[in-house]
Amino acid sequence: MAAPAISQPRSSKTESYVDNKRKEDIRHANIVAARAVADAVRTSLGPKGMDKMISTASGEVIITNDGATILNKMEVLQPAAKMLVELSKSQDAAAGDGTTTVVVIGGALLKQCLTLLSSGIHPTVISDSLHKVSIKAVDVLTAMAVPVELSDRESLIKSASTSLNSKVVSQYSTLLAPLAVDAVLSVVDPAKPDLVDLRDIKIVKKLGGTVDDTEMVKGLVFDKKASHAAGGPTRVENAKIAVIQFQISPPKTDIEQSIVVSDYTQMDRILKEERNYILGMIKKIKATGCNVLLIQKSILRDAVTDLSLHYLAKAKILVVKDVERDEIEFITKTLNCLPIANIEHFREDKLGHADLVEEVSLGDSKIVKITGIKNMGRTTTVLVRGSNQLVIDEAERSLHDALCVIRCLVNKRFLIAGGGAPEIELSRQLGAWAKVLHGMEGYCVRSFAEALEVIPYTLAENAGLNPIAIVTELRNRHAQGEINAGINVRKGQITNILEENVVQPLLVSTSAITLATECVRMILKIDDIVTVR
Amino acid sequence: MAVERILKDEASEEKGERARMASFVGAMAIADLVKTTLGPKGMDKILQSTGRGREVTVTNDGATILKSLHIDNAAAKVLVDISKVQDDEVGDGTTSVVVLAGELLREAEKLVAAKIHPMTIIAGYRMAAECARNALLQKVVDNKENEEKFKLDLMKIAMTTLSSKILSQDKEHFAKLAVDAVLRLKGSTNLESIQIIKKPGSSLKDSFLDEGFILDKKIGIGQPKRIENAKILVANTAMDTDKVKIYGARVRVDSMSRVADIEAAEKQKMREKVDKIIAHGINCFVNRQLIYNFPEELFANAGILAIEHADFDGIERLALVTGGEIASTFDNPESVKLGHCKLIEEIMIGEDKLIHFSGVAMGQACTIVLRGASHHVLDEAERSLHDALCVLSQTVNDSRVLLGGGWPEMVMARDVDELARVTPGKKSHAIEAFSRALVAIPTIIADNAGLDSAELVAQLRAEHQKEGCAAGIDVITGSVGDMAELGISEAFKVKQAILLSATEAAEMILRVDEIITCAPRRREDRM
Repeated sequence: MAAPAISQPRSSKTESYVDNKRKEDIRHANIVAARAVADAVRTSLGPKGMDKMISTASGEVIITNDGATILNKMEVLQPAAKMLVELSKSQDAAAGDGTTTVVVIGGALLKQCLTLLSSGIHPTVISDSLHKVSIKAVDVLTAMAVPVELSDRESLIKSASTSLNSKVVSQYSTLLAPLAVDAVLSVVDPAKPDLVDLRDIKIVKKLGGTVDDTEMVKGLVFDKKASHAAGGPTRVENAKIAVIQFQISPPKTDIEQSIVVSDYTQMDRILKEERNYILGMIKKIKATGCNVLLIQKSILRDAVTDLSLHYLAKAKILVVKDVERDEIEFITKTLNCLPIANIEHFREDKLGHADLVEEVSLGDSKIVKITGIKNMGRTTTVLVRGSNQLVIDEAERSLHDALCVIRCLVNKRFLIAGGGAPEIELSRQLGAWAKVLHGMEGYCVRSFAEALEVIPYTLAENAGLNPIAIVTELRNRHAQGEINAGINVRKGQITNILEENVVQPLLVSTSAITLATECVRMILKIDDIVTVR
Repeated sequence: MAVERILKDEASEEKGERARMASFVGAMAIADLVKTTLGPKGMDKILQSTGRGREVTVTNDGATILKSLHIDNAAAKVLVDISKVQDDEVGDGTTSVVVLAGELLREAEKLVAAKIHPMTIIAGYRMAAECARNALLQKVVDNKENEEKFKLDLMKIAMTTLSSKILSQDKEHFAKLAVDAVLRLKGSTNLESIQIIKKPGSSLKDSFLDEGFILDKKIGIGQPKRIENAKILVANTAMDTDKVKIYGARVRVDSMSRVADIEAAEKQKMREKVDKIIAHGINCFVNRQLIYNFPEELFANAGILAIEHADFDGIERLALVTGGEIASTFDNPESVKLGHCKLIEEIMIGEDKLIHFSGVAMGQACTIVLRGASHHVLDEAERSLHDALCVLSQTVNDSRVLLGGGWPEMVMARDVDELARVTPGKKSHAIEAFSRALVAIPTIIADNAGLDSAELVAQLRAEHQKEGCAAGIDVITGSVGDMAELGISEAFKVKQAILLSATEAAEMILRVDEIITCAPRRREDRM
C-alpha cells in the first residue's frame, strides 16, 4: 500500500511577510494530510476489517491489521501526518488496543474541523469546544461502563476475544483469549493488585506447527538448543539450575597478555594446565549439586569452549549458552535464584530448582523448557507457533494487544460494550448536550457529536453492510434507550451487544477519545510550518 | 576617477536608505513570524528540521522558534538575540520582546519616511522608554510582606504565563505544580534542583509533583528494591578492572596458571575496590559508569543497592539533592560526604520502572513528572513549564507584580502620550510613535483571538483615562474586563526587561546606515 503522496510544503522563511491566506492554506494542508493517514487505516477497523501488506525498504514483508504497526511502517513525512502516527503510538502505550480506532476518530474530528474552519470559526474556539467534548465524553462513557471483577474470568476472556476478533488470527481467539487472561492474571502481584508489568510475560516465537499449538508455559522457554556437542544430557529431572555470568574457558586477563613458550615440554605443560584449570572449575560446580547451567553471553571471550563442554557433559550437566544479559533479570526472577558472577561465589543457596529441564524438538529446531519451578516468580512465558513467519509475527502482535486489554482491565476494572455502541451513544448524548450550550461552542460540539458516528459507520462499511441504514437504525435504537445496542457484524444486524459478549475495557475507549482530541487540538493550533536547521 | 574596489570580490555593501530598508524589513519579517503566537489564543508553529530524521517540533515558545530559524538578515539576528537574552534572563516574554521591537521599527520607518533623522527618533524613544518605565514603577504592587497574598500573586502569574501555552486547559493544576516547586527553592533561582521527567502515555492532567528525586534507571539484579534511611555514595569510577592505561602494555607469562593468577589478581583488585566502597557504610551506590556483573554480585551479596550507568546530569543532581559528593577514590571513607535520604524504592510510572528517592537531604529538590499523549506534547509542556518556573523564581526575588492582559501597555501608552504632548520639538513625534507601538501589543492579542481589535483597543484607551483603572482585554469573553478581578498578573521584571531590551534593539537597528557583508568563507557546497 502506497503511503499517501504528501508533498513537502515548501516554506522559505525570513524573506517576506506572511499573509493570512497562507495560514489558512497551511492549516488546510495539515488537516488534509492527517486525514489521508486516517483514511489509509480506516479499512482495517473492526472484526471484518482488512489487512495491509507492507513491504519495507529492506524488502521485508509484513501483513498486519494493527493500526500502530501499519502507521509505524508507513514512514510519513508531512509533520501533521506524523502527529497522527504519534497518536497511534501513544494509544499503543496507554491502552495497547484501539490503535486504529484512535486514528479514525482523529481523522473524523479533523474533517469536521475543516468544515467549521471554512464557516469562519476561530481555531481556538474549536479547540476549546473539543476539550469540553472530551471531558464530557469521558463522563458519558464512564456512566455506561459495567464494573468487572478480576475473578470473573468469563468477562475477561470476552473482552480479550473482542480484541482478537479483528485480527488475522481471529479464528484462534477461543485459544488465545483464555491464554492471554491466564498469562496476565498469573503475573499480577497480590501486593500491588493494580499494576501489571507486561515485561513479566515473555513471548517466544518459534516457526513450525500452527497457531493452534501456541501454549502458555508455566516456567521458562529458551529458543536455543542445549549445547551437547560433546554428548551432554538433554533431559534433567530434579534440576538444580545455576545462572552464571562468568566463563568456563581458559583464563583471560583484562590487560593484554601473551604466553611465552620457549620449548616443547612447556607447550605440553600449558595444555595440561588449561585442562586442569577448567576441570577445577567444573568440579567446584559439580560439588554444589548443580546439574543445569545457563551461561550468559560474553563478548570478551568464549563463554564455553569445546573442552569445557566436554567436561560438563562428563559431569552430566546440561548447558544452555549465549543467554543475553537483558534476559538475566527475567530468568533469575522466574527461577527465584541469583546470578553468579564468579566461580568463588558458586554456592548451593544461589541455585534455582525445577522438576524438569528438557530439550524438546519442535519441527526442525529445538527449544529448552524448564518446568515445575519451585517458588517460581510471578512471570510467565508464552510459546507462539505458526506456519510461517508472517503469521507468527501477527499472532504475537495480536496477543500483545489482547494482553494489553487485560492489563487495562486490571488497571481500571470497567467494561464497556463494543460494536460501535459507545460511540453512537456518545454521539447521541453530546448532540443533546450541544443544544443547551451557547454560541459557537454548541455548534462545534454538535459537529463533533456527528463525527463520532464514523466508528459504527466504518464498522458497518467494512463488514459489507449498508452503513447509512445501519447507523440510522442504531441511532434510532439508542434514542429509544437501548444504550447497549451495537452492530453485530456476524449477523449483520443490530443487537444488544452486551449479550453478544462483545465487550472492551473502558480505558481503551476513554483514552482513544482523550488522545484523539488532544492531537486534533494540537493540529488545529498550528498556523505555520517553519523549516529549521 | 573611479575608485578601485575596496572590498573583496564577493563582499557586498549596502548604504544609506537601502541599508536601513533592508534591516527594517528583516526585523519586521521576524516579528511578524512570531506575532501570531502571542497571547492566550496565539497559534503554534511546526518546526521541521531539515537535518537528519526530519524531526518535528510543535511549539508556541518565541525563543524556541527564533533560535532554530535560518537567518541571513543582520537586523533579524539582533531580534533573535534579544529573544535569547530574554529567555536566559527572565524566561518568559520572549515573543513579546520581539514583537515590541518590530512595532517600534515599523513606527520608526514611517518617521524616517517623514524625514525625521534617526538620531532624533532614538532620542525620543529613549525619553519614552524612561517615562514608560516610571509609569510602571508607580503602578507596581508588592506583596512580599504578606505571604498569603504573595502566594496568590505567584499563582496568578503562573496561570497567566501558562494560559498562552499548551498547558492552558489544565493551567490551575500546572500553576500549582510550578508554584509549589518554586516555593520549595526558597528564593534560589537555581532551577537545577527541579527535575522534569517526561513519560509518554496518559494525559497532561496526570502530571504530578513529587517531593523527592526520581532516577530513570534500574536496580541491579538480586538487590534490595526498597531501602529505608539510605546512605548513598555517588561515584564516577570504572567498575571494571583498573587497567594500566599505557598503550601496548602487556604482561608476558610462561604458563596458563600464571594467566589464571593474573585474572584472579584482577578480580581481587575489584573485590578490594568494592570492599572499600562497602566500608563507607553505605547501602546505596550510584555510579555514572557501568557496573559489571562481578561487582554487581558483590554488592548484591552485601545487600547494597547498586545503580549503574546513571548519566552525568542524573548523578550531579543526585549528589546535589542528597547532599553527597561525587567520589572517584575510596581510600578515605571519612573524607567522602555521603548522601542521605529516607527511602529508596522502585515505582512504576506508565510502563516504566523508575527509582524514587524520597525524603532527601536538600528539601528544595523536587521532581515534576509530566505525562502526555505524545513526545510533541511532552516537549512543549516542558518548555511551557520551564517558562513558568523561570518567571516564578524571578518573581520570588523581585516580588513586584503588575496586571496583565494588555494593561501595562495601556498604562505606559497613556503616560507616554502625555509626555509627547508636553515635549517640544520633533522628538515628540517619536514619543508618540512609541506609544503607538505599545498599543500594538493589545491589538495583536485581540487579533490573534479573532476579536475586533480596533473596537476593543479604543474601549481600553477610554477606560484608561480614569485613574486607578484595571481594564485589560479579556480574551475568553472577548471584551474589556477588570484584570484584577480576573486574576491576570505579570511579573514586573519581565515587563521591564521587555521594554528595555526592545527599545535598545530598535535603537541599535535604527543607527545602522550601512551593511557590509563579508565574503563568505569558501567551503564545500553542501546541502
